[in-house]
Amino acid sequence: MTVSGGRAGTMETRSDLGHRMAALAKVVELGPGRVDPALIAEAGRLLLRAGDRLKLSGEHTVVALAGGTGSGKSSLFNRVSGLELSPTGVRRPTTARPHACVWGIDGAGPLLDWLQIQWRHRFARASALDRGESQLHGLILLDLPDHDSIRAITDHEADRLIQIADVIVWVLDPQKYADAATHSKYVAELAGHEAVTVFALNQADRLAPEELAECVVDLSDLLKREGVQHPRIVPTSATTGRGVNSLKSVLAESVAGRRAAVQRLEADLDRVTARLTKVMPKAEAMMVQPTVDLARQEGLTDALSDAVGVPAVGEAMENVYGVRSLDWVGWPFARWASRLRPDPLSSLRIGNLRDEIKAVTAAKVSAQPAEVENAVHALADGLTSGMPEAWRDGVRDAARSQVSRLPEVLSGELSETAPRLDRVPGWWRLLKVWQYLLVALFAAGLAWAAAIVVYGVLKLGQPPADLLGDVSVLPWLGVMVVSVLGLGLLSAIASRNFVVLGAGKERDRLERDMRRRISIVSKDMVVKPVEQELQRYNEFFAALAAARR
Amino acid sequence: MKSAAKKTECADEHTERSGDEVTKGKDFPEALEEQTITFQAIGVDDDLAPDGASGEDAQALAASEGADSDAVAGAPASQAQDEPEKPEEPATTDDATAAEGSDASETTSPATDEADDTDEPDSAEGSDGTKESQGTKESDATEGSDGAEGSDGAEGSDGAEGSDGAEGSDGAEGSDGAEGSDGAERTASAEDVPEVVAETPPDPPEESAHVRELPLPKPVSRALTAALSNLKNSVTGLRLGLDVPGVEDARKAQAEILAQLENYVIPRVHMSVAPALVVVVGSTGAGKSTLVNTLAAAKLSATGVRRPTTGTPVLACHPDDRDWFAKGEVLGGMIRVDRPGTDGTLDSLVLSSSERLPPGVALLDTPDIDSVVEAHHEVAHRMLDAADLWVFVTTAARYADAPSWSVLRRAKERGARLAIVLSRVPVRSRDVIDKHFARMLQEYGLGDVERFVINESTVTAGRLPEEEVAELRMWLTELSVDGQRREQAIQATLDGVMSSFRARVPALARHLEAQVAFRAELRTDVDAAYMAALAEIDEVTTNGSLLRGEVLARWQDFAGSGDLMRTLHMRRPGRLATKASQQAPARSRAFKHALRAALESVIVAAGQRAAEEVVTRWRQRDRAGDRLAATPGLGRPSEEFVRRVGRMVGAWQEHVVGLVRTGGVAKRSVAKLVSFDEESLSLVFMIGLLGYGSSEVAEASGTGTLPERLLRGVLGADSLRTIGTRARSDLRARISLLFDEETLRYVQVLDEAGIPDEAAAKRLYQATYNLEVAR
Repeated sequence: MTVSGGRAGTMETRSDLGHRMAALAKVVELGPGRVDPALIAEAGRLLLRAGDRLKLSGEHTVVALAGGTGSGKSSLFNRVSGLELSPTGVRRPTTARPHACVWGIDGAGPLLDWLQIQWRHRFARASALDRGESQLHGLILLDLPDHDSIRAITDHEADRLIQIADVIVWVLDPQKYADAATHSKYVAELAGHEAVTVFALNQADRLAPEELAECVVDLSDLLKREGVQHPRIVPTSATTGRGVNSLKSVLAESVAGRRAAVQRLEADLDRVTARLTKVMPKAEAMMVQPTVDLARQEGLTDALSDAVGVPAVGEAMENVYGVRSLDWVGWPFARWASRLRPDPLSSLRIGNLRDEIKAVTAAKVSAQPAEVENAVHALADGLTSGMPEAWRDGVRDAARSQVSRLPEVLSGELSETAPRLDRVPGWWRLLKVWQYLLVALFAAGLAWAAAIVVYGVLKLGQPPADLLGDVSVLPWLGVMVVSVLGLGLLSAIASRNFVVLGAGKERDRLERDMRRRISIVSKDMVVKPVEQELQRYNEFFAALAAARR
Repeated sequence: MKSAAKKTECADEHTERSGDEVTKGKDFPEALEEQTITFQAIGVDDDLAPDGASGEDAQALAASEGADSDAVAGAPASQAQDEPEKPEEPATTDDATAAEGSDASETTSPATDEADDTDEPDSAEGSDGTKESQGTKESDATEGSDGAEGSDGAEGSDGAEGSDGAEGSDGAEGSDGAEGSDGAERTASAEDVPEVVAETPPDPPEESAHVRELPLPKPVSRALTAALSNLKNSVTGLRLGLDVPGVEDARKAQAEILAQLENYVIPRVHMSVAPALVVVVGSTGAGKSTLVNTLAAAKLSATGVRRPTTGTPVLACHPDDRDWFAKGEVLGGMIRVDRPGTDGTLDSLVLSSSERLPPGVALLDTPDIDSVVEAHHEVAHRMLDAADLWVFVTTAARYADAPSWSVLRRAKERGARLAIVLSRVPVRSRDVIDKHFARMLQEYGLGDVERFVINESTVTAGRLPEEEVAELRMWLTELSVDGQRREQAIQATLDGVMSSFRARVPALARHLEAQVAFRAELRTDVDAAYMAALAEIDEVTTNGSLLRGEVLARWQDFAGSGDLMRTLHMRRPGRLATKASQQAPARSRAFKHALRAALESVIVAAGQRAAEEVVTRWRQRDRAGDRLAATPGLGRPSEEFVRRVGRMVGAWQEHVVGLVRTGGVAKRSVAKLVSFDEESLSLVFMIGLLGYGSSEVAEASGTGTLPERLLRGVLGADSLRTIGTRARSDLRARISLLFDEETLRYVQVLDEAGIPDEAAAKRLYQATYNLEVAR
């Protein structure tokens, strides 16, 4: 691989990584409240770290020598760097602060600052001058403190650097290579990082060749069991120098590619997304309909209409108008007759209740809060089947976000359109006048007839006018009186029918209007927040899928 | 005084068991209570005031306890008397026990003896019951409870109460109940005793390294065994189901205590001078197997470069000791095998012997404490639980490892006898490392522990050069030869372990209490949520907000269309009356339906909110609550809920109609004039009850709301008030019932997670106390 080719590859992977990181950022943005906060926090930390690392020198590769106390990290560090930079010793633990050795110091400063390596522990190799080491140019080798001694319990320096170095070289030794402290906490956790992980089996000089071979096989089996598919194991000996060159060449490969930083971040990203993916629903629920479909909206409107009592309001209007119109357009004679009937209320001496009962119809339309709540609930439940629990709650909360205001808004909106049941239309008044006119006519007719009987038939006196004494008028008069009565009755019946017909029409219009208004309100206050949440759901999982690649 | 106290402990332990017996045998309702009372009578200086131990029941129970305790206490007492006289004749003891078992009157003799000792003849006289045997029983009871009094002066009044009970007539019943279990108990002891005795060799050889079983003085041993098995029983039954913080530790502690009791403490108490078990423990690759092989001068345990090497523990001992270990009292749970299984089964123990090992000392090579194979750690720790001496092996490369120090910490906590081997030390830097390590140990408070240093040297055939281990071999041989020293070492560890119970068991008990408290908290959450829901329903049904939506429209329809007026009609035969009574039934039905639907939706919504509230509250608790809250379906009402609510509201409406019909007989003055339609009137009543109130429809006139005035006019104020109260309380009762059913789901979830036994913590405290007393 030529250097330029490597660069091009790096740029490609960098932009790819950038896209995935952007997707992860979206996940972090949309996730809170829906995903385990610890996971979101971890993803957030990864994003920060990725941003920092990618800003800093891409020409350098940070290689960390990690391992248990006494495995020979510092000795190996010194061997690779060719100088006695990090003190070694027999006392355990030896190294307390990380040391760094840089091949090609240009531009490494900020990176070392970011790694928080103290100034006095930084060393530089002018690699170009060194014989045969030009391929290590760009290497920052770190000698970490151990992670398994009693000191490490309180000091997390090694832990921190293991999490952020580009390449980890696990320095193991025949005694400690199977320690739980190394494997359970790090190696198994970072199993996907094999591209940026090397295992150096140090102190190889302590074993006979056949023992070493057995040891390597055992270690390799162990690593495979832990999920490291193709472990790179380099037997080394810091004492004799054996295998150090192989280690160097493995490192040189990583350094030359200039890709380790990106690979490391990719591996971390894979790990985070794999953990996030565990919360994913089944594939078919990954994408939900981002809008609330018409049938459901219809269902919600129906339920809300019931909460307001739209059909009942219509029915009541029809009935109440029918009854109330009797007072106005009814046949007065019938009304007077019914008044003669005994009234239970007045016999109970609560006659004044009659007005109150009439006043009942004065109340405005309103919505029943509990029913509104249940309706909204039913919508949310229907939409979220198959979603993870946290998201179901999210949708439900979104649906309910304005539920406390909803009944009032509905009431206010609908009372505008719904007529008051105690309304009196003008034509009722006209009809009433007409009816009384007929009654007056009827009375006049009767009086006339009486006058004819008195003056014309009984001849009891001189009629003041001829007409009052003309007996021949009498049959006509009778016809007139009867027809006035009949006209009153007919017009009462007719207008009653008109009232009912009108009320029926009004009812249809009213119901349509109310439903329309309800659906507008519900769309605004329920459907919209729900759709936003569904959108968020889709975006989250789309971003997660993108971050997963 | 001390022996008396011990007897009581012993007796108490038996009482508890006898309580169990009784429960099993007969239907003895007080059995449970008896345990609690027992506890109080014995009175660990716990802050539990003996306030509950009053009343007849308590006395009867105390009496039964007393009677029982003595009957059993008699057995060891007679043994204690017999034992010093004829130690070589176990048959006699056998007979004596058998005699006790067969004849109750026999029991009297030791009992009366002791009654003399404790100068309490009064109560013996006082209890001149008609039946003689009963009388003796009761005197026993007095004595027994007196013993209890002796054991702890603080609770003197309690003991007195116990003796009171013995005199009372209730005592007869109590001792009766206890008698049944006595037999069982005695047979149990009869089994127990010969076993222990049989293990006593007829003539114990002195000065021999082969002293196998030298039982402790019998009463001490018995009391201790009883206390230990009591502790074991208490620990065994614990269920730590809720994930409160620290539950993992508590479960681990429980398993550890149990394993230690079973594998080590209980067998060891019997035979204090049995071969000492030296457990070699340490990191992987530290050279434990190599060390054992070298000391045994044979390749007993596999060595190699593979880590971890040893999977199955290997026990190496002198051939003479082999049988003792093969018998399997120590480490009873492990299967003895001759060679390690191929698949490395962890429940087996390889048993091997070597002439080179000193007799009386056995070495146990354990799996590692820190390799990737985590099952090994567990096995190693189990081995440690059974160890008389710990040999901790570490290396120059490992002596600062965190796992190593956690073992050292454990040894320190347990007070175990410890020797440390620092192996694989490069000769060049021996002094530096040794000094450094010594200083670390010093800082840790283990400076005076015996320490052996082994140089890094070539291993041939799985063994080190002999001279490297000479010092260690010397130490082992000394242990082997000097029986007293060995016993001391063993006793030190045993004491250490038992002392560690003093802190560990109460810690477990505290955790248990935390669980109980936590469960109560979760339960409170449920109750609080549903109480809030109930209050909410109350609120809605009294403030008039029910009179909205469909209900309002239907009410308007009902009132405005004249149906309300037609509810009443004149009681007058005739055309007009019959005509007027005709209503539109559809309209009142619709009104009724609307009322029902509104009430249902109010209850359903409240139920829904309560369910969510519970889950939210549980989530706010820590991990355990969160896990329980994750149980599917808890965040919403049960599937049946809506249907149940519907049925409930329907039933309530029917109930109200019934009330109006039966309770609401119209005022006599009214009844003559007016009759009414009950169905419709009850609807008016319901709307008045639920819908009106402070709603905007209600008029603020001083005379009350429309329905109220109408109904008052028809039914009269008194009966209206009665019906109103009854209907409302009935509704509330029905809703509570419904919510109780809902609550049950949460209780079920809690129960499935494990119900911590509330008395278990007390039992643990008591068992610890008993053990302390017995030691």
